[in-house]
Amino acid sequence: MGRKRKITLFDIINYIVFAILSLIIIIPIWKVVVDSFNAVGVYKFQLWPSDPTLAGYQTIIHTAKLARPFINSVVTTIVGTLIGLIMATLGGYVLCQNDMPGRSIFSYYLLFTMIFSGGMIPEYLVMKQLGLVDNMWILVVKHGMNVYNLVLMKNFFEGIPISLYEAAELDGCSPMKIFTSVVLPLSKAALASVGLMFAVTIWNDYSTVQIYITNPTQVNFQYQLRVMIMDGDTPTTAYKVSQNTLYYASIVCAILPFMVAYPFLQKYFVTGVNAGAVKE
Amino acid sequence: MSKKETTAPVVHKKPLGLRLHEYRGFYLMFLPVFIFVLIIYYWPMLGVRYSFYSYKLRDIHFIGLGNFVKLFGEKEFWSSFKNTLVISIVKLLLNTFVAVLIAIFLNEMRSLLAKKFVQTVIYLPHFMSYAVVAAIFTLFLSTSSTGFVNETLKSMGIIKESIDFLHSKTLWRPIFYLINLWKETGWGTVIFFATLSGINTELYEAGDIDGATRLQKIRYITLPALSNTIIVVLILNLAKVLNIFEPVFVLYNSRVLEVSDVISTYIYRKTFLTAIPDYGYTTAVGLFKSLVGCILMIGSDIASKKIRGRGII
Repeated sequence: MGRKRKITLFDIINYIVFAILSLIIIIPIWKVVVDSFNAVGVYKFQLWPSDPTLAGYQTIIHTAKLARPFINSVVTTIVGTLIGLIMATLGGYVLCQNDMPGRSIFSYYLLFTMIFSGGMIPEYLVMKQLGLVDNMWILVVKHGMNVYNLVLMKNFFEGIPISLYEAAELDGCSPMKIFTSVVLPLSKAALASVGLMFAVTIWNDYSTVQIYITNPTQVNFQYQLRVMIMDGDTPTTAYKVSQNTLYYASIVCAILPFMVAYPFLQKYFVTGVNAGAVKE
Repeated sequence: MSKKETTAPVVHKKPLGLRLHEYRGFYLMFLPVFIFVLIIYYWPMLGVRYSFYSYKLRDIHFIGLGNFVKLFGEKEFWSSFKNTLVISIVKLLLNTFVAVLIAIFLNEMRSLLAKKFVQTVIYLPHFMSYAVVAAIFTLFLSTSSTGFVNETLKSMGIIKESIDFLHSKTLWRPIFYLINLWKETGWGTVIFFATLSGINTELYEAGDIDGATRLQKIRYITLPALSNTIIVVLILNLAKVLNIFEPVFVLYNSRVLEVSDVISTYIYRKTFLTAIPDYGYTTAVGLFKSLVGCILMIGSDIASKKIRGRGII
């Protein structure tokens, strides 16, 4: 590029501002991580735990009241993401079939749900009838069908060049065969980003559990974490662990899966948003 | 809806019967989606009829518009309605404004590595749940001896007594906005970066030749390029302002209800925190919210079609 490469005052200020901005994000997260390994609660920000311990994490693993919700979270997230992906892929592919009789009716059928909804209470009454109150699978039912993600999949499918479909058709592939052997293999990146969106939503969902579940064996980790920290409902444990250590260790467990995966999968996270928002 | 549709030849149609047969597999593919949507979206819509009923325990009887009469006379409801608008809109404007600033100035960063690093960092909090973020900041802002913020401020001599940030009527909203800025602004820049990467670099080169300064180039090239995206982001989110629930729910408490109660939390409290809830009444509140939301959505759709030639739904 023809732009000058001289470092100006503007650049220096810019670097300083963004360094501060990054610190504003990093310091709270860093403090949470450090304090989760710290045996005594301190208010100060430390770069490294002054009194290191693993007691917080051991407590979580060995306390049913915390370990159980964590497993619930893992199971519902995996199952919900799979079901969500299946639904979004099936629906998205059908909505791509421009010659299919009734296609536009199907698409209005789905889009109407984005404009109008029954609301929190009618939804609750329906789920009650379905036996999903006090049942962790409510998370899968509530998030397994997502019209927005379905439209995202559809947009991805439409991005596949028409010539590929035509070539497959000339080779005598049936529409189903085209789906399984041409479309799906080409959509790996799309499946990854949409799958991540489902996973983040389900793993991070707290309010659904708050509304639908009171049975402690059915709650997810986000809920348990919140009850413990905000309502002070700390489970009794056999471990000698300070309250603070346990709190921060729980927070780390709640954010761990995506914090670990995020640096590697960042591009999939970002493409999902862009495909949905700026498809011009 | 799609480009294919508009460019497809008009006289392509095979007879309907043949097409039905040809696409029979697709109807089967759509069936699970159809049923799923029917159960979780359309079935609850039938429940909207309870808005016109009194529904306490097993006693359900028709009362006409009684719930709405009660609703419009309820001071608590109007307070929650007002809070919803204020909290959502301020949060939206603040987050968008800061996201645009970040996007513009990060775009000016010369080092690609530094730019990537900052992006990676500021996207991070988006992947933490509201429950987690609320937990972190509740611990940081607490008045106990391990409260990060209060103790740090005290040790620096800025304050003498601990401040109970989240229980203060004057401080709750500012703290709420700040926490939301921390969590969502970084992610909000993603869409602006997408637009910025599409700006023709020749424009900047032309600016250089004309002797424009950095700030002038930002003012006359970058900002106009972003303006359309800014409007789109605002419109898209304006349609959803009434839906705010989780961000408020995880941070509010009984002592700051006056400034923090939004429609959804009002519905929640009236249903799940009441000994004998009237499902009819809370359904009516929900219906009112859905209808206003519906109008906002259609309004935004029309606005979006005017501005960028394509709707949002």
